Amino acid sequence: MADALRSAGGTVGAGALLTHVAPPVASPFGTASHVEGECILAIDVGGPAPPPEAVAFLDGIQRYAVEGRFGLVPVVRGYAAAAVLEREGTELGVARALQEEFLVVARSRLTPDQEAALEDVDLPIVECDAAERSHPILDVQLAAKAVQRRREVVEAELAAAHIEEAPGSWLVVDGSLGGIGALEDGARVVGLVKSHETQFLEGADLEVALTLPEGHRTSVFARTAGARGRVFSFYLRLWPWQEHDLLHGLVRIERPPGEAAVAEASEVSRWLLAERAPLSAPDGRWDRLIYPIRQVETFLRAQAGGWW
Amino acid sequence: MIRLGGGSTIGRVVATEALPAGPHQFHFWTAIDTAIGIGAIVRVDAENGRTVYAVVVDGRAYSDLATPLHEVVAAEGDPAGDRAPTRRTEIRLWTAAVLRHEPDEPIQPVPLADVLLATEQDVEAALRMDGYVRGEQPTGIPIGVYRAGGLAAPVYLDADFLLGPESAHLNISGVSGLATKTSAVEFLLSSIFQRLPSHKGSVAALCFNVKGPDLCFLDQPTELTEADEELYSVMGLAPRPFEKVHYFAPYKADGVNLNTLRSNAALVGDVQPLVWGLREVLDYHEVLLNRDDIDAKADAFLDFLADRVVDKQFRDEWGNTHRVGSFADLQLLFKAIFDGLEAAGRGDSWRTHHIATIRKVRNRLLNISTRCRGLVTDDGTVSDLPFGRFEDRSVYVLDVAGMDQLGQDLVFTRVVTRLREHLERGDLGVDHVVVFVDELNKYAPADGPDTYVRKMLLDISERGRYLGLVLFAAQQFRSQVHRRVVGNAGTLVFGRMDMDELAMPGYQVLSPATKIKLATLPPGALVVPRPPFSQPLFVRVPRPAVLQGPAGVKRFPPAADVPFEEAVVRQLTAMDKRIAPARIRDCIAGRREDDVRRALLATARTRPDDVEGYFKASLGPAVRREAAGRDQDATTPLRSVEDPYAT
Ligand SMILES: Nc1ncnc2c1ncn2[C@@H]1O[C@H](COP(=O)(O)OP(=O)(O)OP(=O)(O)O)[C@@H](O)[C@H]1O
Ligand SMILES: [Mg+2]
Repeated sequence: MADALRSAGGTVGAGALLTHVAPPVASPFGTASHVEGECILAIDVGGPAPPPEAVAFLDGIQRYAVEGRFGLVPVVRGYAAAAVLEREGTELGVARALQEEFLVVARSRLTPDQEAALEDVDLPIVECDAAERSHPILDVQLAAKAVQRRREVVEAELAAAHIEEAPGSWLVVDGSLGGIGALEDGARVVGLVKSHETQFLEGADLEVALTLPEGHRTSVFARTAGARGRVFSFYLRLWPWQEHDLLHGLVRIERPPGEAAVAEASEVSRWLLAERAPLSAPDGRWDRLIYPIRQVETFLRAQAGGWW
Repeated sequence: MIRLGGGSTIGRVVATEALPAGPHQFHFWTAIDTAIGIGAIVRVDAENGRTVYAVVVDGRAYSDLATPLHEVVAAEGDPAGDRAPTRRTEIRLWTAAVLRHEPDEPIQPVPLADVLLATEQDVEAALRMDGYVRGEQPTGIPIGVYRAGGLAAPVYLDADFLLGPESAHLNISGVSGLATKTSAVEFLLSSIFQRLPSHKGSVAALCFNVKGPDLCFLDQPTELTEADEELYSVMGLAPRPFEKVHYFAPYKADGVNLNTLRSNAALVGDVQPLVWGLREVLDYHEVLLNRDDIDAKADAFLDFLADRVVDKQFRDEWGNTHRVGSFADLQLLFKAIFDGLEAAGRGDSWRTHHIATIRKVRNRLLNISTRCRGLVTDDGTVSDLPFGRFEDRSVYVLDVAGMDQLGQDLVFTRVVTRLREHLERGDLGVDHVVVFVDELNKYAPADGPDTYVRKMLLDISERGRYLGLVLFAAQQFRSQVHRRVVGNAGTLVFGRMDMDELAMPGYQVLSPATKIKLATLPPGALVVPRPPFSQPLFVRVPRPAVLQGPAGVKRFPPAADVPFEEAVVRQLTAMDKRIAPARIRDCIAGRREDDVRRALLATARTRPDDVEGYFKASLGPAVRREAAGRDQDATTPLRSVEDPYAT
């Protein structure tokens, strides 16, 4: 089989055993426009280089539980937390952290008595969208989205605080910059996206991006999809993907739009390559999850403890 | 290092299913940079009022690295490659062994609570010292200082356990030179002298100096470091030498130079000669016999001599009358017996004693007068320890370092037996005597023949505590000492230990980390295992405030042996500076050495105000030299031991 693939120019994967159809991807495609050059190229960044002195890492977590229902309407208790760990020398320390607990409910579907009863609970109430038709699963999904939005808000607040209070410092954010809000050109914020559900490129550009060799990045492009504004982005291959699959070791970097994003793309890539050590294994996402981000997550999980 | 002092929170107990907290052991974590280490005492307070005291016995550090392979992958196989920009999260995880629960009952697992560094009071409680350090009649004797995380707290032994009656004896082990065994005993004796409370009565120490100059300068001060002085002050002790020290040493074979390294002219004056006669030896003849063979016949003949002959008028079958008071007299008696039997023509027994037995006893007895020539006199003069007049807080040093093993055995046996007899009668002069035996493995070895000395040491260790007869002993390897002699010691102390020794089954209770710490202890650091937990307690012991042997011989170089006449002059002038050497020389010129020796000994023993007059009177008027017949058969003296440091 491997020979067959190779003989006609294919690549050999890991051949991992699968059993289930992957759940549908919510938004598989986005759009993009070229920023750096006219097409997407694979650029060798020149190997790892030491990260900047002042750098911090941000991540957030969320949890929720269906506490009960008024009729069919779910009443959800949610928890969102985020933290920034700052690196001093080689030590990570907690620079700032926020956590909150709240109720999520579709107020429009409650009676005044029900609303009043919830207000007596000593937790803030977060409104969530109400579907036109009740659905036991979709209703909960809508509430969960509200929890996620709270998490993004908490993350955005922490990011804003960090940017304001540590202006020279870099901030590496787990995931897309979409939720962080508008950032100036040159803001030292880096989004590190590990999941590739939404593909912004297509055709030859996409092929270049998804088959990047180790230590290479793509040209910078602007992703335009969604209500979340314009963000500059490029792909970076942290580990060789041969013998695995296309997405192994592939991250997508996001930066605030502007000239700096292009000018700094290779530099940022180089230090992110240095962040491959220490390895975040045994975490299954070790090929894309850098150790400091995992440490933020570990801290948040420990802090949440057995939240329920 | 972080200096916290006692009482601050330094860690938290952790327990998982795989690593639970039990009633006797638990785990806790601390900051990476922590003040504690192996041997530190900690306290855990539970919310329900339960308090647990424990000692740290092991420590581990690890990071979140799941397998070393991950490091290899991250470094892309190059150990010299760039360092990772982030340090992995680490933990310092400690294991502690419980020393005490409060309340004592019911014993429960250690609560999952904060861990505090022990305060001075906590150390007292943890080591159960509160029972004897406080109260109306405290009996605490400082033995060292516990130090951890900025705290320095005195550690006490209970005099009731150290000197009796609850338990008694102390045994200290550790490698040569680094374990500071001899020094530690010197320090502890000083601590006992300073702190034994009056309600415990009086105490003296009798030290056998068995090695070179070890104990020869206990009355001389020494310079201490600031660190040592601080240790003394933490314990509330005065760093000063012993005030009352009495030295005893036998003569060398020449019968006039003292067999000690305390022979410098400035000091030798207060060394008293130890001289015994036939009676003193014969009473302890067991020592002579048990070495090779236990022989009932020889025993019977010796009893006969002791009961019927020595110091009595004795008529033999051939018409001679003997009064045997010395080895020389005994020699004449034997000669008479052998001559008489030979003349009778069928000489295979005399008064039921076989001639072979008589010969054997004669050989043994005369052998001792030869081998211990400096101790045992031919002529019946005696200079002995002041049995019955022992003084409170005095040290009696018997310098036997230069003696032959047989002589040492004899001294041990006789001195300890006399101590015991006096203590039994309550007329020694003091209530407790600490007998310090260094190099115990030589005198009570684990294997080898069952000597009289070993039996006697075993006897002290078993019964001494009721009498106030206390054995402090030191040896390099505990395993080389008779089990019961060590086993009866109520207080065991270890200095730096040998790893092979630590591998023996007796040390299995110790954790590997503790063993390694024991094998690498610096000088002055000792371990006192605490019953009933047998967990070790590490303490710092200061240098004794006395001049140590090697420094002593530098400051007071031993005098070279001098000719007979000169030795006599020096000893007399050391007793009284006003004496003119020339007058002494004149007075002893042409006199028999034995007579001069006897007069010198009498003077040394009496210490009269008028030294010269007393000496001259003892010597008596010059008489014409007798025929030398008495000395004819005397065996040539053994050379004195060449290397006084040889063990
Ligand atoms: N408290 C102390 N702190 C530091 N050094 C010490 C201390 N006490 C003694 N020493 C030094 O350690 C050395 C050995 O001491 P000591 O003679 O007491 O050891 P030891 O265990 O009796 O040795 P050995 O088995 O050879 O008789 C000496 O040089 C002494 O000065
Ligand atoms: Mg010694």
